[in-house]
Amino acid sequence: MGIVPSSVVLTSFQVMSRVFLIWAVTHSVKEVQSEDSVLLFVIAWTITEIIRYSFYTFSLLNHLPYLIKWARYTLFIVLYPMGVSGELLTIYAALPFVRQAGLYSISLPNKYNFSFDYHAFLILIMISYIPIFPQLYFHMIHQRRKILSHTEEHKKFE
Amino acid sequence: SKHPDPFHTLREVEILDAKIREKLCFLDKVEPHATIAEIKNLFTKTHPQWYPARQSLRLDPKGKSLKDEDVLQKLPVGTTATLYFRDLGAQISWVTVFLTEYAGPLFIYLLFYFRVPFIYGHKYDFTSSRHTVVHLACICHSFHYVKRLLETLFVHRFSHGTMPLRNIFKNCTYYWGFAAWMAYYINHPLYTPPTYGAQQVKLALAIFVICQLGNFSIHMALRDLRPAGSKTRKIPYPTKNPFTWLFLLVSCPNYTYEVGSWIGFAIMTQCLPVALFSLVGFTQMTIWAKGKHRSYLKEFRDYPPLRMPIIPFLL
Repeated sequence: MGIVPSSVVLTSFQVMSRVFLIWAVTHSVKEVQSEDSVLLFVIAWTITEIIRYSFYTFSLLNHLPYLIKWARYTLFIVLYPMGVSGELLTIYAALPFVRQAGLYSISLPNKYNFSFDYHAFLILIMISYIPIFPQLYFHMIHQRRKILSHTEEHKKFE
Repeated sequence: SKHPDPFHTLREVEILDAKIREKLCFLDKVEPHATIAEIKNLFTKTHPQWYPARQSLRLDPKGKSLKDEDVLQKLPVGTTATLYFRDLGAQISWVTVFLTEYAGPLFIYLLFYFRVPFIYGHKYDFTSSRHTVVHLACICHSFHYVKRLLETLFVHRFSHGTMPLRNIFKNCTYYWGFAAWMAYYINHPLYTPPTYGAQQVKLALAIFVICQLGNFSIHMALRDLRPAGSKTRKIPYPTKNPFTWLFLLVSCPNYTYEVGSWIGFAIMTQCLPVALFSLVGFTQMTIWAKGKHRSYLKEFRDYPPLRMPIIPFLL
């Protein structure tokens, strides 16, 4: 909507993946809700979002403390892998329960000649982290270098 | 001796990299009536890794690419023309891409139809389905892709020779992937034939055949609009062939008929993956149709106002 300069595609992707983790995994598989991995990603996401929205708010008010900018572009180095680990461990923990209950799965024969194995789907999701996570992570590192060194240059001229 | 004619002085062309403005090439003694295509050929001589198909030359680093047919002296440049170069990346011909992306589904579907080993359980290897509709579906699917291959070889006139190489991987994944996914279910030993039986199959087959004929008629009409080797664009109009009368209502009836064919196939097989494939195809073709429609409107002042891009009156 043009209020903040984030990419719509990247952001939608992140929102979708978060909703998926919460709804389609953690909420759907009750046995997984007491796992430590859930705590891990919830903490990572919470800290990330507090910083991120402070960043946007202060930016819009044209009064961005350097600390917030620094935090946004530095803490991800730890928070991002933390979140990803929590997510992957949670999905992994959910697998046996999904298989046992045949959750969200449909098998042949049926009227619409379709089948879906949610267990296999979750494994595919986990595998997809391998190409996707490094790309997003290094994109953030690249952004960090660009934005934090830019501020340094501005400071020099003050 | 000839009179010195200012319009016939030889020109100079310098080619700079669009991003870093580095001078890549300087051509002198260029004929003023030389085309961009000829300049691209000259540029390739000094930089053989950049064959003409991957060169984008423009007057402005951020501007639109010049066309191969553009003539040097007709461009807004002085006696020394400055052109900016962008590398379009490795290119592959449209014909090659089309042939590859269509041959795949034809072959892959047959692997499933003949129940080649390792797809279904071993007791089903090389067995045949007992449902008539399954055999019919194989004929329709195969016919569809044979038609596409023949059209690529003999009917279509492409305005661009090439596309970026990475497209072939993207396109083949899409076509081959969906073909395998659909074929798996239709030819499965546990396949369930349509709920309304022979009636449903007959109706769906009629839709499919009509749309295939329609789609072919449009391809022929579009081909006849453009003489061989030319790149001219004209407004397509209905011809004596009733299938082309859809031009009265839509800009891209070939896409309309294509969606229709796949809807027919989906009803015939009553297979959800086919419906999903139709939906994805429809989405993509709608995007293309809207783009084409917009170009037509921009290029032709007298473009028929009743026409919609792909669905009469709606879309």
